[in-house]
Amino acid sequence: MLTRRHLLTGAALLALSGWAALNPVFAQSADPGAGAFIQKLGTEAINSFANKSQPKPAALAKFKQLLNEGFDVPYIGRWVLGRYWNQASPQQQQEYQQLFEQLIVKTYAERFVEYSGETFKITGTRPEGESDTMVTTQIIRPAGPPVAVDWRVRKRDAGYKIIDVVVEGVSMGVTQRQEFASVIQSNGGKIDGLIQALRQKTAQQPG
Amino acid sequence: MMPASLSRRFLRTAFAATLALAMAGCASGPKGAAHEEVNDPLEVPNRFVFAANEAVDILAIRPAAEIYHGTVPDPVRQAVANVLANLLAPLVIGNSLLQGDVQNASDATGRFLTNTILGVGGVFDVASAAGVPAYRSEDFGQTLGTWGVGDGPYLVLPLIGRSNARDAVGYGADTLADPFRIGMSAINANGVLYTRTGVSAVDSRSQILKEVDDLRRNSVDFYATARSLYGQQRNAQIRNSRAVDSPEFPDFDKPAPSPVSPMP
Repeated sequence: MLTRRHLLTGAALLALSGWAALNPVFAQSADPGAGAFIQKLGTEAINSFANKSQPKPAALAKFKQLLNEGFDVPYIGRWVLGRYWNQASPQQQQEYQQLFEQLIVKTYAERFVEYSGETFKITGTRPEGESDTMVTTQIIRPAGPPVAVDWRVRKRDAGYKIIDVVVEGVSMGVTQRQEFASVIQSNGGKIDGLIQALRQKTAQQPG
Repeated sequence: MMPASLSRRFLRTAFAATLALAMAGCASGPKGAAHEEVNDPLEVPNRFVFAANEAVDILAIRPAAEIYHGTVPDPVRQAVANVLANLLAPLVIGNSLLQGDVQNASDATGRFLTNTILGVGGVFDVASAAGVPAYRSEDFGQTLGTWGVGDGPYLVLPLIGRSNARDAVGYGADTLADPFRIGMSAINANGVLYTRTGVSAVDSRSQILKEVDDLRRNSVDFYATARSLYGQQRNAQIRNSRAVDSPEFPDFDKPAPSPVSPMP
């Protein structure tokens, strides 16, 4: 049964990265720098969007900036396409990545710009996979129960990037990957079918 | 209406059939691998039923939920939600015990008794004020899942909505075992049961108005998105929201290591 707690799609908080971890990364333990990164990110996002007086285009631009600084959007785009990435031509890959970013902005920007008092707290970190860290947070909302959001953070040379968001046990990356796979399969396995659908989707509303 | 004996026989056959379907190698990968390929051999009829359910939702249920949300005051809606949740408590208790989760069964029992007696049949959530711990909602589909039953093919049921072979069996079992239903049927108050179903549908729909709108608007393939969410949510519920199996997130820049045979 669908419940609100399970269905939040716009609960991700963004912030600037740029915090360089000074601690060496050990494969088996959680990276404390990842937690600090998320903390900084979330605070930055709240500060940016709590300011209601900024005009909409400026807020959207801010969102795009934070998105690309906090998330590895090209990595996520490629991961979401899954095994179809290698079947795509370089032109298809390029167009797909552009459309993918536009879709993310279209999907989530509104919710951030409409920010209304949510805060968050980090409840823990744990190592995940070979070298990633899962930072577990609770998003505290003014109306409704708190939402558990986990951030999968990967160390990049210059800092950290988020590569997946898990809301109440549901991975946004997995959801989108399964959705896109379904679209491609419905189009006889042709990636153009997905690209066409993404073109239509992102054209519906100027983002 | 089918006579009681016939409907019981039908349900038993349906139960057996779906259980067989769930067990018969149609189950998706190892338990918890919701991130693998989706198991939807019945995609064509499922999409049809999904579209029909969407039409009913857009034309009837969502408008009713919107009106409900907009006109009925918060405390009243909260009371309605409390009563509905309280009616389901016996099933939660039973399923928790079947899963060996004594803590959850005990919490649910505490809440049920407190809210039914002191909270006037569940209208007032006295238990929360009294500090009785909250409990996790459990159903027979989750029970079957914890027992190791695979989910079986994805199903979209008319009006009931998204499900799978195992959860459909679970839904049937919970419906049969529901003490409130048994009680109301015994005194021939079926109208009360229909009212409860209707109110429950509007109440739960009214809590996710914005979220469903967002998904409908932003999904490239809403059917596929809803299917993916369902599988992941059910897996998280069965594992009681503990960390679920993560998929692989390879490093695309590094070439994949060549397989090395293990040392003898």
